[in-house]
Amino acid sequence: MKTLETEVLIIGSGAGGAVTAATLARAGRSVLVVEEGPWIDPDAVEPFSLDEMVLKYRHQGASAALGTPGIAYAEGRCVGGSTEINSGLYHRLPEELADEWRRTYRIAEFTPEVLDKYSDLVENELSVSKLPGAPPPSSAVLERGAAKLGWRAVEFARVFRYDHQGRGVKQTMARTLVPRAVEAGAQILAECRISRLLKRDDRIVGARAERTLPGGETEPVTIIAEHVFVCGGAIQTPTLLQHSGIRAQIGNGLKFHPTIKVAARFPQAYDHGDVPMHRVTEFSPFLTIGGSASRRGHVALALADSGGDYADALAAWEDVVVYYAAIRSDGSGRVTALPGFRAPLVTYRMTDADQSRLARGLLHLGEVLLAAGATELYPSIAGAPVARRAEDLVEWWDAFTPSTANLMTVHLTSTVRMGDDQSRTGADSFGRVWGFRNLRINDASLLPDAPGVNPQAAIMTIAARNADEFLSHL
Amino acid sequence: MLWLERQVVASLSGDVRPQHRLAIEGYVDGVLRAMPELLRIGVAGESIVLGAGTWLAARLGSRRLLSERLEGWEHSRIGPIRQYVRLLSSLVIFASEELAPDPQALDPSQPSAAAAGANGRG
Repeated sequence: MKTLETEVLIIGSGAGGAVTAATLARAGRSVLVVEEGPWIDPDAVEPFSLDEMVLKYRHQGASAALGTPGIAYAEGRCVGGSTEINSGLYHRLPEELADEWRRTYRIAEFTPEVLDKYSDLVENELSVSKLPGAPPPSSAVLERGAAKLGWRAVEFARVFRYDHQGRGVKQTMARTLVPRAVEAGAQILAECRISRLLKRDDRIVGARAERTLPGGETEPVTIIAEHVFVCGGAIQTPTLLQHSGIRAQIGNGLKFHPTIKVAARFPQAYDHGDVPMHRVTEFSPFLTIGGSASRRGHVALALADSGGDYADALAAWEDVVVYYAAIRSDGSGRVTALPGFRAPLVTYRMTDADQSRLARGLLHLGEVLLAAGATELYPSIAGAPVARRAEDLVEWWDAFTPSTANLMTVHLTSTVRMGDDQSRTGADSFGRVWGFRNLRINDASLLPDAPGVNPQAAIMTIAARNADEFLSHL
Repeated sequence: MLWLERQVVASLSGDVRPQHRLAIEGYVDGVLRAMPELLRIGVAGESIVLGAGTWLAARLGSRRLLSERLEGWEHSRIGPIRQYVRLLSSLVIFASEELAPDPQALDPSQPSAAAAGANGRG
């Protein structure tokens, strides 16, 4: 068996792991990042394509939280994690939400000043910015529809760098912080899956892993480490901890943004190469309306989800764009690692209020799209009629039930939760797992709730803060 | 893929060129292999039960086509059966569209991939 030694072992290379790795490597620490997925050139496949799903998504995108209804979700599984597959939208953690979390979970040093300091660092590092010119038509739709209704809509900043011609490149972790961590001395071990952490009393002394070699065969690896950061995301992190026998407040409290889609047909062709960057924020933070990936395959899927006749719309797929309504949910779920299984059981229970909020969000989404000039709307509800006028939307309300709604999500959080209130959290205010001196979490699992917006900014800000705090103790 | 899964994918793929069909089947097979074990066990269980029913009905002389059965399963009162059809049809539809050959390279006498994707599901 191969044995590796490092001062700091970081498990996972997504938004949390990459920030941690770069921060610690730049501080001169010996860092080994272990990533289960492959290291793929960020330019190797088209964004949101089938090839991307095969190469970069966990389970090739076929993940679901069981419940009524079941909810499909997506996670990245490659160097860079979910930053390689998301839309790159960037939204600072709302101040009032941070304040609520600080009080409810007793999170130390979680003031606006502290968070702003680390947000500034992240934004400078990644060139977070808005479009240099006019938005693409698929994004302007939301702005136009909202303006007609008197609703608020904003263009969100993105983790994108734009050249002088306005062409944007998403600053994923595989393109930015991972190579920068390597430049600073970190080592990256891709295609290496950690199966369990090795414990001795109140310390983690290392991890047992299995590495896939270029020929496809595997070799067992033992990694000895003085400090361990688990940064596998809100599903994989609790799974690894539970497989390692660490279960107190781990895996319960899963949160995400249940999301429903509408395929909107317009009188003319629209752009399909990017994701709309405008969001209707009139009902934020409890309901957000935005745009989704709309390649031909996504358009076909969204049309099919309506369960009706969509052949005519599909034939004109270039006139169709997919939009969504996403809610902050009162419900919650659970991640349960099962002996003998690699993938955990993931369940989620939406509340009646969630369903009502999501149905209302669907109607608002329909309103804004019709106001913007859409001629046909296909909701992701089996059996719901195609809406062509505002009056048609009323029928969606009755058609929306747990058994007819086709839901999905991408923002998974809160399966460990941070804070000094040990009765509600799995880790302290800086991500150190209760009961262990040298085991830390630094990813989306720490967020006490789904923030109502893309959580990447919050994850990276908190990860930078926690990494700094860790360094202060060395 | 199990027997029924292969039949369902073939039925949902419609009248596409053999190479396109193979690509669709390959993609669906890959996803079914990659999905979480628990979900795969559930899907496989349904494939076995529904497949046994389909096979038995055919042996007993039923002339009901698989596409008609799919229509019934799609509107079943049993959630997992509806989800079974939804899963497979979603995979086929996505693959049909994303793996569709360049339309300009298509023989005009062949139905388009878009029409095939909608066929039976529209």
